[in-house]
Amino acid sequence: MPKSIKTGLIAFAFLSYLILVGLPGRTGGNALPLLAFAAALFFWYRLRRESRTQSRLVPQSGAAGQAKPGWEIGHGPQAQVQTGAVTRGGFPLRVLTQGAAAGATAGLLIAIVSAVFAEILGNGVAIQPVFDKIVPVNVAALLGVSPGAVAEAQVPPLRYLISALYFTGGGILAALAVLAGMTDAARAAGPTQWRSRLSGPAFTSAGRWLVIALPFALLAVVIWLGLPGVSLFGNDRSTVRLLFTLIATGSGLFALRAATPGRERLAVSVLIGLGVLCMPFVLDQFQNSVMGIVFIFVMMGLGLNIVVGYAGLLDLGYVAFFAIGAYTYAFVSAPFSSPYISGLLTGLGVPADSPLLGYWMALPLAMITAAFGGILLGIPVLRLRGDYLAIVTLGFGEIIRLFMLNLGELTNGPRGILEIAQPDLFGLAPEAVSGGLLSSQGWIFLLALVSSAAIAFVAIRLNDSRLGRAWIAMQEDEDVAQATGVHLVRTKLLAFAIGATFAGLAGQLYAARQINIFPENFSLFVSIDALALIIVGGIGSPAGIVLGALALKGLPEVLRGVDEYRIVAFAALLVIMMIVRPAGILPSARRRFEAAAEEAGAGEIAPEADETFVKKQENDKGTGADGEKGAMP
Amino acid sequence: MTVLLAVQSVTKVFGGLVAVDKVDVDIREGSIASLIGPNGAGKTTLFNCLTGLYRPEEGEILFENQSLVGLRSDEITARGIARTYQNIRLFGRMTALENVLVGQHLRLHASHWSAILRTARQQAEERAARETGRELLDFVGLGGQAEVVATNLPYGDQRLLEVARALGSRPRLLLLDEPAAGMNPRETERMMELMHRLRDEMGVTVFLIEHDMKVVMSISENVTVLDYGKKIASGAPDEVRANPRVVEAYLGPEVAVDGPVTAQEH
Repeated sequence: MPKSIKTGLIAFAFLSYLILVGLPGRTGGNALPLLAFAAALFFWYRLRRESRTQSRLVPQSGAAGQAKPGWEIGHGPQAQVQTGAVTRGGFPLRVLTQGAAAGATAGLLIAIVSAVFAEILGNGVAIQPVFDKIVPVNVAALLGVSPGAVAEAQVPPLRYLISALYFTGGGILAALAVLAGMTDAARAAGPTQWRSRLSGPAFTSAGRWLVIALPFALLAVVIWLGLPGVSLFGNDRSTVRLLFTLIATGSGLFALRAATPGRERLAVSVLIGLGVLCMPFVLDQFQNSVMGIVFIFVMMGLGLNIVVGYAGLLDLGYVAFFAIGAYTYAFVSAPFSSPYISGLLTGLGVPADSPLLGYWMALPLAMITAAFGGILLGIPVLRLRGDYLAIVTLGFGEIIRLFMLNLGELTNGPRGILEIAQPDLFGLAPEAVSGGLLSSQGWIFLLALVSSAAIAFVAIRLNDSRLGRAWIAMQEDEDVAQATGVHLVRTKLLAFAIGATFAGLAGQLYAARQINIFPENFSLFVSIDALALIIVGGIGSPAGIVLGALALKGLPEVLRGVDEYRIVAFAALLVIMMIVRPAGILPSARRRFEAAAEEAGAGEIAPEADETFVKKQENDKGTGADGEKGAMP
Repeated sequence: MTVLLAVQSVTKVFGGLVAVDKVDVDIREGSIASLIGPNGAGKTTLFNCLTGLYRPEEGEILFENQSLVGLRSDEITARGIARTYQNIRLFGRMTALENVLVGQHLRLHASHWSAILRTARQQAEERAARETGRELLDFVGLGGQAEVVATNLPYGDQRLLEVARALGSRPRLLLLDEPAAGMNPRETERMMELMHRLRDEMGVTVFLIEHDMKVVMSISENVTVLDYGKKIASGAPDEVRANPRVVEAYLGPEVAVDGPVTAQEH
């Protein structure tokens, strides 16, 4: 199957997802251009990658005499030589054809599917109640006709053609963008540099600045959408605004990657930091509450990433530490919800309904109890690896939940702990301090943001130290790591304890956000969500984890309107994601290298991956790495 | 010369199989010694006992007159014994330099708090560790490959990197498990030269398992021969080569009776 057809099929799958979750129905008349644009973005990404490999496979004119079969080229030093052939004759035409073919594939499939549905609906066949509620609206929007026309089978056939042509146009547009970007880059940076994607200084300068400017533009849109009287995409303003908030936050991460390491990156990160920090003040209660939960999961993801991503210990019971953190805060904040503690305190003569500790005083306590829980779990599983470890940790998570459920005297069982105090700001309510600018949910979001940043800071620094190296070594080969001098017990327990501490922090904030917590808040699915978001985002990459949380915890909230089958559609999206980008959306350098090596098989892409890896290493070391460049091969 | 490592009637049993049977070996400080024997003779098992991967059922292992039996492998590494592996076991996803940095793990002492805060001392230690790492890579002949991911290195270089990683822990005794296996003659030559330099320039005592008789006979000052877990001979290379039990172990009894076939020709 030609690559372009495959691209078209993947695009179709993505588009089907967007259609299934009801995007056309929501955007009304703009559906077709919007979808075509989304498809064009995807085509652009794929085409750029393909054209890169192709131009690498084309032998240079000098080497034409000793042409070899394609699969052999790309081994060893030859791969480096063959990058100059971008401007070969016929190449632009080929890219254009590929773009058009991919677009046409996706467009035709969409046209066919919508025709089938229009036909079914036109003939009055009922499929399933939920389905029937959503499908006509979507199909109608996709075809640019009114839902009534679909119901009465009065769709002009030309509409199908137009809908197909839209996507073909998207493909051609993408091809043109690829060509324009390539010649631009080739002129500006020389042939070898434009290959590395968003990972370094090689990105086209115009494109780079565009990527850097994008989050700020999106933030402006978010703020604009919040102004009174502004309306976009009909009556669902709040959700649309949330969507833009999610995209703006996500694009900020790409902007960070696009910035040149050093001063530029520092400046961009400061600006993005400021931009993100102003979000809690401009969003409304709903958006803030969603973003709050997203960043609470970022905190968890970053912690779990230490255990799973760095130390390589598959922990399926991570929710346990989340629960420990939450309940610890609950006990000291609302002690009279717990019959046992309540009795104890009354006996001591403490007046009813007074909290023992405030949020900030409870912070170290939640961290310590969670870390203790981490060590408690860590000790018995020290000798376990892989599947066995996963099963035991899974059980541990359930044990903690069942404790909370059945220790009714202490935890109030399924009735939960109620009226947990909000975090205060210098002893005052945040609304009062900020003069009403900061809502209660905005305050939680702000705290989650700051905590995530602190956790990411600690995680990145630890990963860059001897402890981080010991974790990776342990993940690769436990026995050898120990024989090389790594103290396995200490290193493992540290991973468990640090990961648990972060989860405890997240749990405490979660308890404050929920105000009332119940054992059912801490089911296995929280663990699964946390694990899924780091896998989707990119194991080992803090930026990827933020992106994963935005996609997995934020996006479903946007799709609230289509409750029933959003989970199905979401699962499909995950599967496709893992096929297209097995290392995650924003993979860490190590994973990127590994995935590229697997994809290459015979080592075709390995030299390139290697190069990006080396580059990432340099980036990570920042400006201090200048001396090391000389030592590179 | 003093005895650096004394192996005294060490026995390791797997189920009913006696993999290492009352073996005695003395390694003198500053020497290059070899351990040879047919496949399955228990050579690697003995190495694993020395480095704490296995705990011997009987016997005593003295390193600088202190017992190693019962210590964890990282504790043994801390005492000054490092090793390489028969089937290369590098940290594949890490760069060459990072591998050597893991090797130095024991010799770095900055606390994890200082790593979070990036204190001046921690940074100085990290810089020094990188510096040492590069020097060690240069030493084994991998200068300029520091940033290459370990799995991307050619086979011979991976073996050299294992040596560099082992050197990271500043060992006094280096155990090399078939360092020249799978190497071409030129690489073997390089490895032999490296072993000499290890002893002469680094002051490291070398104890190696090797199948390549040319390497064993030309490099080692002392050869110990194992067969079915038992030590059957030990001494200078020439003595061992002439020992009829060694010839028998390698070539079978019939050939041995026939006459002067030497182990070298094998």
